Amino acid sequence: MESAATVAAGPVSEQTAPAPATATTTAILAAAGVLLAAALVVGFWVAPTDASTLGFSQKIFYFHAPIAETALLAFGVAFVAALLYLRRGDARYDRLGVAAVRLGLLFSLLVMVTGVIWGRAAWGVWWAWEPRLTTFLIACLLYGGYFVLRGAVEDESRRATYAALFAIIAFVDVPITFFATRFLPEGLHPVVLGPAGSGMDARDLVAFLAGLAGMTLLFIGLLRLELGIEALREELRELKFHLGR
Amino acid sequence: MTGAAQISAVGLGKAFGRREVLHDVSFTVRRGGFLALFGPNGAGKTTTLRLVATLLRPSSGSVTLAGRDPRDEPAAVRRAIGFLSHNPLLYRDLTAQENLRFYADMYGVAEPAARIDELLDRVELRHRRHDVVATLSRGMVQRLAIARALLHRPAVLLLDEPHAGLDAHAAALLDGLLAEIRDEHTFVMATHDVRRGLELADQVLVLDGGRVALQRDGRLEPGDLADVYPEHAGLGARA
Amino acid sequence: MGFRQYRALVRKDLLSELRTRETVVAMFLFVVLAMVVFHYAFTATGGGALSFYTGGMLWVVFVFGALLGLNRSFAHEKDEGVLDGLLLCPVDRVTIFLAKMTGNLIFLGLIQVVAVPVFALFFAPHGMLAHLAALLVLIALADLGIAALGTLLATIAMQTRARDLLLPIVFLPLVIPLVIAAASATGALLSGGAGAPGVLGRLLFLLVYDGVFLVLAYGTYDVAIGE
Repeated sequence: MESAATVAAGPVSEQTAPAPATATTTAILAAAGVLLAAALVVGFWVAPTDASTLGFSQKIFYFHAPIAETALLAFGVAFVAALLYLRRGDARYDRLGVAAVRLGLLFSLLVMVTGVIWGRAAWGVWWAWEPRLTTFLIACLLYGGYFVLRGAVEDESRRATYAALFAIIAFVDVPITFFATRFLPEGLHPVVLGPAGSGMDARDLVAFLAGLAGMTLLFIGLLRLELGIEALREELRELKFHLGR
Repeated sequence: MTGAAQISAVGLGKAFGRREVLHDVSFTVRRGGFLALFGPNGAGKTTTLRLVATLLRPSSGSVTLAGRDPRDEPAAVRRAIGFLSHNPLLYRDLTAQENLRFYADMYGVAEPAARIDELLDRVELRHRRHDVVATLSRGMVQRLAIARALLHRPAVLLLDEPHAGLDAHAAALLDGLLAEIRDEHTFVMATHDVRRGLELADQVLVLDGGRVALQRDGRLEPGDLADVYPEHAGLGARA
Repeated sequence: MGFRQYRALVRKDLLSELRTRETVVAMFLFVVLAMVVFHYAFTATGGGALSFYTGGMLWVVFVFGALLGLNRSFAHEKDEGVLDGLLLCPVDRVTIFLAKMTGNLIFLGLIQVVAVPVFALFFAPHGMLAHLAALLVLIALADLGIAALGTLLATIAMQTRARDLLLPIVFLPLVIPLVIAAASATGALLSGGAGAPGVLGRLLFLLVYDGVFLVLAYGTYDVAIGE
C-alpha cells in the first residue's frame, strides 16, 4: 500500500494540476459574456432594422456568423493540434484536439440551429440546401465521425494518431466542401444566409464585431475549461491505474 | 567469437498508452551470435523481437542493426532482417511459389527463380510449389515460412517461438536447418523450450514483467536458470 | 526496386482477387441491384421524373459500390495477419499506398466497364454515346479521387475495431464534394456535351480534389499504416 501511495504521489507532484476554472478562464468567460450582451443590446435595440426583405430576422446574423467563424476557428485549432501531435507525440496535443473538435461540433450545431431559425423567420422554410448550411451540416457529420473513430480504437496512442490524421483530413475538406456546394444548381434555393446587400451600418458593425469577439472569447474560455477538466480526468485515470496495479 | 555488434539495444522501452510492457532493456548480440530470449508469457519477449524487427517503434531507447537505426534507414535495416513467428505471414490464396515470388520481389532478391528453387528444395516443398497455401498442412506452412524468412539472405534472423505448434517432422526439419545455417546468420530466438534454446545459444536474456531478470554471455546449463525457471533446478550438466 | 515492389504488390492483390473472385463479383452485383432498387423506389411514387435523377444516381451507385471494394482492400492482410509481412519488407510505405490504390482503381474500373452499359440500358439517358469520351474522362478523374481517399481511409479503418462500419462513416462526408462535382458535371455533360458551361470547372475541381488527397496520403501514409 505504501508503494502504491508513493507511486501515486509521483505524477501528482510532477504536474501542477490546474483547477478547471482558473482566474484567467473566469475572466475570459466574463469578458465573453459582456461582449455578447453588448452585441445583443446593440444589435437588437440600437442598430436599425434591416431595410431588405430580411427585416428583423437579419439580426440573428450577429450571432449566426460569429458562431460559424468560431466553429471554423475551433476546427483550425484542432488541425494545428493534430499536426503538433504527429510531430511531437505529446498527449497534451491530443487532448487539445479533442476539446477543440468537441467545441467545434457544438458551435457547428448552433450554426445550424440559428440557420434554421433564420431560414424560418426570413423565408418560411425550415431547411435550405444553401452552401453555408450544407457545409456546416457536412462538418457536423464529419467531426461526428471523428468521435466514432476515436471510439473504435482501443490503444491510446493509436487512437490519438488516427484522430490526428482525421482532424487534418477533415479540416482540409471543409473549404473543399464549401467550394463544391457552389456547383449546385442555383435556381432552386434562393435562401442566402449572409449579410443583406444593403451593406452594414456602423452600428451593425459594432454589434457584429462585439458578437465576433464575444464568441471567440467564449470559445477560448470553454476550451480552457475543457482542458482543465480533461487534465483532472487524466490525473484520475493515472491514479486509478497506479493504485490498481 | 569476437566480432562487431550486430544487434545493439540500449535502454529499450515500450509503452502502449499508459501500459508499459518493456522497461530499460539493453543487450548486444555479436555478429554470428545466438541470443536466446526466455521469460514467462507477457514478459515482453515478443515485444522485444518486434522492436528489433522494426514492427514497433521504441517509446524510449533505441535498437540498431550493424550500427544502423531503423528510424533513419528503415529499408536497409529491414533488408537485413528475417522474421519467423507462429504466424507464417503467407497469403492463403496464393501458391507456395507465388508467395515466395512476391517476397522475393519485395526484398529485391537477385535471380529470384533460382533462389526460390533452392529454398523449396531445402524445406522439402518442391513437389507442392504450385499448391495454394490453404491446402498445405500446418507443418508445411511453417516450412514455407522458414523459406520466406531466409529468402533474402538476411544477416539477422528473429525467431518468435518458431517450434510452437509444429509436428515432429517439421520441428526436426527446423532444427536441422538452424544447425546448418547457424554460422551464416545472427540470431535472436524467443522460446519456452529452455533445453533447445540453451543448446543453440551463446547468450541468454531472461525477461520478466518487461524488465531484464537475467543476462549472461556464454553457454549455460538449464540449472543456471533455476532462479527464474525453478523447474530446471534439478538439471545439472546436459546429457 | 520501387517499381518492382509496386508491381509485385498489385500483382498479388489481383491474383488473390482472381482466385477468390469475392470482391469484384459482389461489387458488380451490388451496383446493378442498387440501380434496380433506385428505379423502383423512385418510379413507384408515380412520377416519371427518374430521368431527372439519373446523372446523380450513377454516382450514388459508384460510391456505395466502391465502399464495398474499399472495405476489402486490406481484408486479406488484416484477416490473415499478414500485414506484418508487408511492414517487414524494405518497402516505402507510399509504394504500398500506390499499389493498394491502383488495385482499388482497377476493381472500380472493372465494375464500371460493366455497370455503365447496364446503366445505359436501364435508363437510356440522352447524350451518353455522343459525349462518351468526356464522360470517361470525368469518370476517370472521379475514380482517382475515390480510390485515393478511400485507400487512405481504409488503411486507418481496417486497424480499428468497427472497421466495416467505420469506413462508410468517415468516407461518405469526405466524398460529398466529389459527388457534387461529378454528378453535376454528368448532368451538364449529358445535356450539353464537353463544352457545356461549368463542365470544365468541375473537371478542374476534381483534379484539385484528387491532388489534395494524394498529397495528404503521401504525407501521412507512414503513420496511417503502422508504426
